Amino acid sequence: MDTQARKVSVLDRYDFLLRRLHSLTGIVPIGVFLIFHLLTNSSIGWGTLDKRNVERAGLGGHAGVAAFNHDVHFINDTLPFLIFIEITLWASIAFHSVYGFYIATTGRSNVKRYGYQGNWRYVLQRVSGYIGILFILYHVGTLRWGWTFLVPGGTRWSAEYAASTMALALRGSVENVTVAGVVVSLGYMLGVSMLVFHFANGLWTAAISWGLTVSAAAQKRWGYVCTALGVGLMLMAWSAVAAFATLDVDRAESTERNMQKGSLTERAGRP
Amino acid sequence: MTGPTQPKPSAADSRSVRFRIARCDGPGKPTRWETFAVKIDRESAGANVISCLQHIAAHPVTVEGKRTTPVVWDSVCLEEVCGACTMVINGKVRQSCSALIDQIAPNDGDEVTLEPMSRFPVIRDLWVDRSRVFHNLKRVKAWVPIDGTYHLGSGPREPAKAQDTRYTLSTCMSCGCCLEACPQFTRQDDPAAWDTTFVGAHALSQARLFNMHETGKQLAGERLEALTGPGGVADCGNAQNCVKVCPKNIPLTESIAAMGRAATIHSVTRFFKK
Repeated sequence: MDTQARKVSVLDRYDFLLRRLHSLTGIVPIGVFLIFHLLTNSSIGWGTLDKRNVERAGLGGHAGVAAFNHDVHFINDTLPFLIFIEITLWASIAFHSVYGFYIATTGRSNVKRYGYQGNWRYVLQRVSGYIGILFILYHVGTLRWGWTFLVPGGTRWSAEYAASTMALALRGSVENVTVAGVVVSLGYMLGVSMLVFHFANGLWTAAISWGLTVSAAAQKRWGYVCTALGVGLMLMAWSAVAAFATLDVDRAESTERNMQKGSLTERAGRP
Repeated sequence: MTGPTQPKPSAADSRSVRFRIARCDGPGKPTRWETFAVKIDRESAGANVISCLQHIAAHPVTVEGKRTTPVVWDSVCLEEVCGACTMVINGKVRQSCSALIDQIAPNDGDEVTLEPMSRFPVIRDLWVDRSRVFHNLKRVKAWVPIDGTYHLGSGPREPAKAQDTRYTLSTCMSCGCCLEACPQFTRQDDPAAWDTTFVGAHALSQARLFNMHETGKQLAGERLEALTGPGGVADCGNAQNCVKVCPKNIPLTESIAAMGRAATIHSVTRFFKK
């Protein structure tokens, strides 16, 4: 018995703690970040509804672009301790994905025999995790780490020209959407869909794992809430990708130029 | 009935049902398929998979006319309360005693596929070694501690509401259906791995049953220690197949969530107390 107890691996010894940490990191900080990230990105669409963005955009400017750039500017220039937020986020994503891969190896799917909806979600949770992490690496690698060889048209994303460079990275060219641009845009659609599903479904299962939703009725109720959240995030994600892929790049760039002039005058203390 | 319409098949009509059975001569031996035909008529009305297996055992001749060994299976009670005759019938796990031929093969020429459960080692043909089911019940101390060197007196009263919940949980017959359908409960032929791999829905539900019992509560801490250890409640993948295949309709997913809640409270309390 004693010798057997000593043979227990670290993964086994901290099995419960690691699995609960895995569940927690998926919600905080990763899930919370996902919500804010999609809110920011989809502002390219709904930003036009806000009068302040129309003012920011100036005459002939694109209010959505103004909204998005304003948010990016806020995150990059005014959010305190951004580096710590990034470190926490990356550490969480790294742990969540690596340990998630490990969890996936402990199970074996059997949807062929037991094709219940819940069983399909069990499989999709794993598949969306695999696709999701690949998408995150591509997304951050191309836009932040300079993997421009993977970007259609080789655009380098910049925070100052956030909307126009993002649109170019999806489209492949200013004039029209290239073949590579279509592939990348569809890849973005797939990636965000997988991540939103992963989050919404994970939020549902986490409530069971932690013991928040005990009765079948409570699980069902929470299921409706998670579905509503998932649908909302899905619409935000899709509309953002669609809006960037169809953006008028020239108009976006001129809006951004105008806004920079504006911010320079603000910084100089002039009205 | 007039005209050239086909007569409606009914249980009383004589018909032939084919049984496609996964055969295995012993542990570690390869699996092969053999098909047998069983006549279902007025005399065998109410036939179930077991009565057909008995017929096959008495006449072990395949449809090709080849004489073979009798098919081996496990069964005890024949009324769906012992769990021994659990096997995979037409791709889904269930008890063979309550699998009525009129329901699963109502027409002439219908085929019924029989396989042993895949999560347990095969002893022979459809007979598997379910030791791990009971081993996992031991892991969570699924019993009421009443042994002592002196008379312990009468136990505390059981609240009626808890009795209601506990009665349903107590109908578990440890058949293994929930484990067979679980994507997180994988086959482990080496018993050394049994203590660190997923304990299974049945054991989680039994831990809940005995944690709710007024005397059984004495071991609640030890049960939760086991459930917050390797292969405990956190290893559940929430596919929820268990509750779908449970022949006793036990709310296994509610039990899992209840133990998840207890494990959360237990681990947080332990963090601040010890």
